[in-house]
Amino acid sequence: MTTTAPAPGREKVTGRDRSPAKREPERVDHSRERVRGLDRVWLLVFLAPFLLLYLGFTIWPLVATIYYSFFDWSGIGPIDHFVGAGNYGSILVDPLFWVSVVNTLIFALLTTAIKLPISLLAAILLTRKWLRGKRFLRTMFFAPLIIPVAMAGLVFTYLLNPSNGALNAILRDLGLVDRGFDVFANRWSALLVLVLVSIWQIFGQYMIYWIAALQNVPEEVYEAAAIDGAGEWKKLTRITLPMIRPVAVIITLLGIVNAMHVFGLVVTLTAGGPGTSTYVVSYFIYQNAFGSVPFAYGYASAAALLFSVIAFVLVSAQGVAVRRAQRLRKEYGV
Amino acid sequence: MATITKPTGRSQAVRANLIALPILLVVGLVWIYPFLWTISAAFKTQAGMFTSGASLVPDQLNFDNFVRAWVNAGFSGYFVNTVLYSVASTLVELVKAALCGYVLARYEFPGRTLLYRMIVGTLFIPVASIIVPQFVLIEQLGLLNTRAGVILAMSGGAGALYVLLFVGFFSSVPTDLFEAAKLDGAGFLKTFRLILPLAKPVIAVVVIFQFISSWNEFNIPLVFTLGQPDLQNLAVGMLSFQGEHATDWTGFAAGMTISFLPMLMIFLFFQSYFTRGLAGATKG
Repeated sequence: MTTTAPAPGREKVTGRDRSPAKREPERVDHSRERVRGLDRVWLLVFLAPFLLLYLGFTIWPLVATIYYSFFDWSGIGPIDHFVGAGNYGSILVDPLFWVSVVNTLIFALLTTAIKLPISLLAAILLTRKWLRGKRFLRTMFFAPLIIPVAMAGLVFTYLLNPSNGALNAILRDLGLVDRGFDVFANRWSALLVLVLVSIWQIFGQYMIYWIAALQNVPEEVYEAAAIDGAGEWKKLTRITLPMIRPVAVIITLLGIVNAMHVFGLVVTLTAGGPGTSTYVVSYFIYQNAFGSVPFAYGYASAAALLFSVIAFVLVSAQGVAVRRAQRLRKEYGV
Repeated sequence: MATITKPTGRSQAVRANLIALPILLVVGLVWIYPFLWTISAAFKTQAGMFTSGASLVPDQLNFDNFVRAWVNAGFSGYFVNTVLYSVASTLVELVKAALCGYVLARYEFPGRTLLYRMIVGTLFIPVASIIVPQFVLIEQLGLLNTRAGVILAMSGGAGALYVLLFVGFFSSVPTDLFEAAKLDGAGFLKTFRLILPLAKPVIAVVVIFQFISSWNEFNIPLVFTLGQPDLQNLAVGMLSFQGEHATDWTGFAAGMTISFLPMLMIFLFFQSYFTRGLAGATKG
């Protein structure tokens, strides 16, 4: 997940993967050679490591997930109990699956809606030329990213625990509460904690993306604007924001997609509780596939696939909406 | 927003700093409070920890907790595993992405476009949704509950992104350079060796990203070491530590400190590479 962090890595692509694709048509003739003779062997040697791992760990698993989802399979013995759409049928009426879906979507939307604007604000501040101590400040905000998500979860379970955690200690000292309260005792406050801790953890990553985007706005544009007498605010709203918009769309998309895969935090902060009320989809999959014997690989695969479809539809719907909005804006010249 | 409005003159810049810096520092301190708390808890006694609440001042200063975490609780093992997994998977990612990216950017071959499109298409596939077949594959290779299995799973799934980064970089290298190399009689391999050093910014980004994400990886080590606690990395080991020694929070804090200090060091060391490389990589 996060892996995957998410992996932190995911984002860069954003700006990048479009350009080579866009450039392709005009470049294809001149710059790319056909291979001859012995070079063909080298070509294969160069491709082999990626291809092998890609086929084994991405393409085949994708196909296999679809295949498994039609079977009732516990991972032991042959896959021979074909159930057709049976897994899908039972998932569609599994209330826990829907709780997980709703939680995942709430989580993804809330974290994205909060983390993107504040990390952009921080990035803008931390790229001001006049600001002192930028290095130090950036490091501070980036720091949470270097601890594993799962560990962040464990630290916060302690800081937030009702008997002697820091949060309750502070609230007690301020006289706001007289008895410790447990944020994990209630679905909504537990979800909120998940959202906030996740933002705290991932914030630095998005800040760095924004900083990278901001630094790609050519300096000359600002100089020209300054000559025309534009103030900082005007530069920000008329130059910076419009110029980083294409990257912003992709960062937003990635923000949502990455948030949908939240896993480690849920395991360590709430373990899906109280009860099963903060289950998210990846946790649901994990619990079904590996959580208890007998393993339900087929069921888990069907859930994974179903959620991928839901996520895909939502994300592309959003993409379409953004594009339509942009077209409208262009038409009306806003 | 007021702070960033018009710092044109020198005195205005000073004034802007006077407003912005204290705010940023306070927010920043709150931000890293969990770190400071963890480090201070690593020095506290159990009793001190229980009564200290939000305080950051430890009631003693000795390294008992560190010794206990490192030796008794097996953090030394987790640490070694984590280093091994991170280094190995970073190497695998780097090699396969650089080689594949180079070929995709430089050469025309049957299926090139298809491969490129597939890579783009699978960028956003979450680990969680395909982990079951990956598990089955590793099991069938006989690598379940081995270090090689964990490394393979960690470096097998990711990496489409890195390939795209390298493709982007290598296709921006001027064709003249390749022509010149060819005129000098450099063959396939020699040309690659000449061009590769130019890709340092991309290499830096890939190394940093992959290293951080594999250092923090949780899902894969968790699933692939279910039967073998001594293969776990820090992130997963921490969880089992907490399961076994639920009350030893100071030992836990010491283990945490041990696990994030190296990463903090690396980040401080490579920070400029990181932002600059990223800025370069996203430049279209």
